[in-house]
Amino acid sequence: MLAIQVLINALVLGCLYACIAIGFSLVWGVLNVINLIHGSFIVLGAYLAWGAYNSLGLSPWYSLLIAAPAFFVFGYVLQRILLNRVITAPVLVTLTLTFGLDLILNNAMIYYFKADYRKLILNPPTGSISIFDVVVPIDRLIATGAALFLTFLLYLLLRRSKVGRAIVAVRLDRDAAVLMGVDVKSIYAVAFGLGAALAGCAGVLMALIFPISPLTSSAYLGKAFVVCVLGGLGSVSGALAGGLLLALVEGIGSVYLGPAHAVTLSFVLLIVFLIVRPQGLLGRKGFE
Amino acid sequence: MFRLRSAFPTRISASLALAVAGFAAATTVASAQDVIRFGAPLPITGPLAPEAVKQQQGYDLWAEQANKAGGINVGGKKYKVEIVYSDYQSNTPRSVQTTEQMITQEKVNFMFGPFGSGAAKAASTIAEKYKMPMLAATASSVQVYDQNYKYLFGTFTPNDTLTTPLTKLVKAKATDVKKVAILARNDLFPLAIAQEMEKSAKENGLEVVYFEKYAINTLDHSATLSQIKSLAPQWIFVTGYTNDLLLVRKQMADQQIKAGVVTMIAGPAYQEFIDSAGPNAENISSASWWHPAEKYDGKDIFGSTANFVKLFRDKYKAEPDYAHASAAVCGALFQMAIEKAGSLDRDKVRDELAKMDVVTFWGPVKFGANGQINSLEPPVFQIQGGKPIVLFPDAIKQGDFKLGVN
Repeated sequence: MLAIQVLINALVLGCLYACIAIGFSLVWGVLNVINLIHGSFIVLGAYLAWGAYNSLGLSPWYSLLIAAPAFFVFGYVLQRILLNRVITAPVLVTLTLTFGLDLILNNAMIYYFKADYRKLILNPPTGSISIFDVVVPIDRLIATGAALFLTFLLYLLLRRSKVGRAIVAVRLDRDAAVLMGVDVKSIYAVAFGLGAALAGCAGVLMALIFPISPLTSSAYLGKAFVVCVLGGLGSVSGALAGGLLLALVEGIGSVYLGPAHAVTLSFVLLIVFLIVRPQGLLGRKGFE
Repeated sequence: MFRLRSAFPTRISASLALAVAGFAAATTVASAQDVIRFGAPLPITGPLAPEAVKQQQGYDLWAEQANKAGGINVGGKKYKVEIVYSDYQSNTPRSVQTTEQMITQEKVNFMFGPFGSGAAKAASTIAEKYKMPMLAATASSVQVYDQNYKYLFGTFTPNDTLTTPLTKLVKAKATDVKKVAILARNDLFPLAIAQEMEKSAKENGLEVVYFEKYAINTLDHSATLSQIKSLAPQWIFVTGYTNDLLLVRKQMADQQIKAGVVTMIAGPAYQEFIDSAGPNAENISSASWWHPAEKYDGKDIFGSTANFVKLFRDKYKAEPDYAHASAAVCGALFQMAIEKAGSLDRDKVRDELAKMDVVTFWGPVKFGANGQINSLEPPVFQIQGGKPIVLFPDAIKQGDFKLGVN
């Protein structure tokens, strides 16, 4: 029974990891920018859900509808005003810029919200479903469903919409895309906006499960990074596969080797992938 | 000619510079005579920032009270208190550098220790080198004091003084508790206290069915908790900091893990734990070095525990916890030692601290030969009705132990 419980825990957690990573992967894959603000975007999304619930009584599901456009605009503007200036510069420059922006955003959150931990407590609580001895918390299930839905939505957007095809085209060959009449600067901003929107939505979902503090942004960023490398850049399904693999390794590792080794194990896996399969599980050149 | 002309103004400017420097030095000396500077290295940014804020509030409250009373009386002359803060960014090696910088460049008179056992132990080496009395407000591990340093003192009793009364209480009140599961953050203090708990459980005839560490920054404990659930312990003991404990508690509720006794150290003493855990905080037991419900009549500047609590509430509009109180009592102890020594001489103040035997709002204070306090009886408490209720010691008991955490 323990094995089934651990497996189910890992499946649910894997989807949440994928949700954390998908926006990060999109930005890295399309813009070739390792976006170090991603973790802070997630935490900001969590604060949005917490604030809306506690002061306005807004359910996190409505917060998702606020977070998505608000973060899209925030990301779009940020890319247009700042990132666009260094987008063609070496990766170290964009890394430094996003690191600096992360410091500003994170410290602003520490200033306004303090470093204390907060928790979004739903009233009434969502409870859990138990089948025999296997228990699945409903909030995690809902968050998993929402994460899968967001992933599917992104997949559809990239496959079916004009802007999505343009994003893929820019990723595949920037110069050819320019020749085909694609406004690359706009597409970059749209992709970054989408990444921010996904991070904001992930934050709303994480608020249901994890305590909220500006200090947790690095943990989210770390997970996003590992999931991207495991799953492979440039693939929506890769983020999902990477998330599931990471959650499975952590879950099984913590039962058989002890929880202290679960994180180490995931980083060992990361190194193995970087050596043996640097493109990740499902990595492809285009982001689709 | 050219040389003469140029040498003259140079001489004038050199003399002027000397005069200005001399004046500046004189004013520095004059102001240094009016104040006593206390160095306080704190992790104001980084993961330990919430703890730094608590310590800072405690020091500030003491400094404010001391200055309100005219300052510290040194042989009939009053000196104002000035606290020099420095942020070591939750980075232990940096806390050592900061300590040295405060002693050598900032010229502080006395030092407070940085946060926690690890950083206090590291920084105490520097204090010892410069023969600088250092009071550590938040270092409990014996390993900090077994260096037998002469200039280091601490206001937290050893970790076993928390786990032993707790185990005895559980043993007396919850007779069906036979199996204990211990989950500890892999960090100096939480791990040390978990090890004490394991020792104490075994000594009291309980079976430790699970003892594991989890890594710092663990985001999910669900697999670990599933394993604990499968072992069906009646007592689950978890150590860590607020974020870890909130995470574990929420995930315990998610997996419908129930136990007769659930103990968590060191979150439940903090109001933010109770606020954030909500109904899940109910019946969680814990222990800490101090509690606002204590009733001591002290000889320190705060006087009674009730007065300290009142002053704290007035200033910060919040309930004080042991971290705030320990920082404040460190200031008050320095004040008493300096006044008794009648001098700012570091050795004389150090000697006064070493032979101190006094009751304060914090409790009775007497340091052992290693510098760690050995006179305090830390309270055991439980969250009941959203409030911490003291269960032990009997002198300040507020309620009875309740079984069952769902």
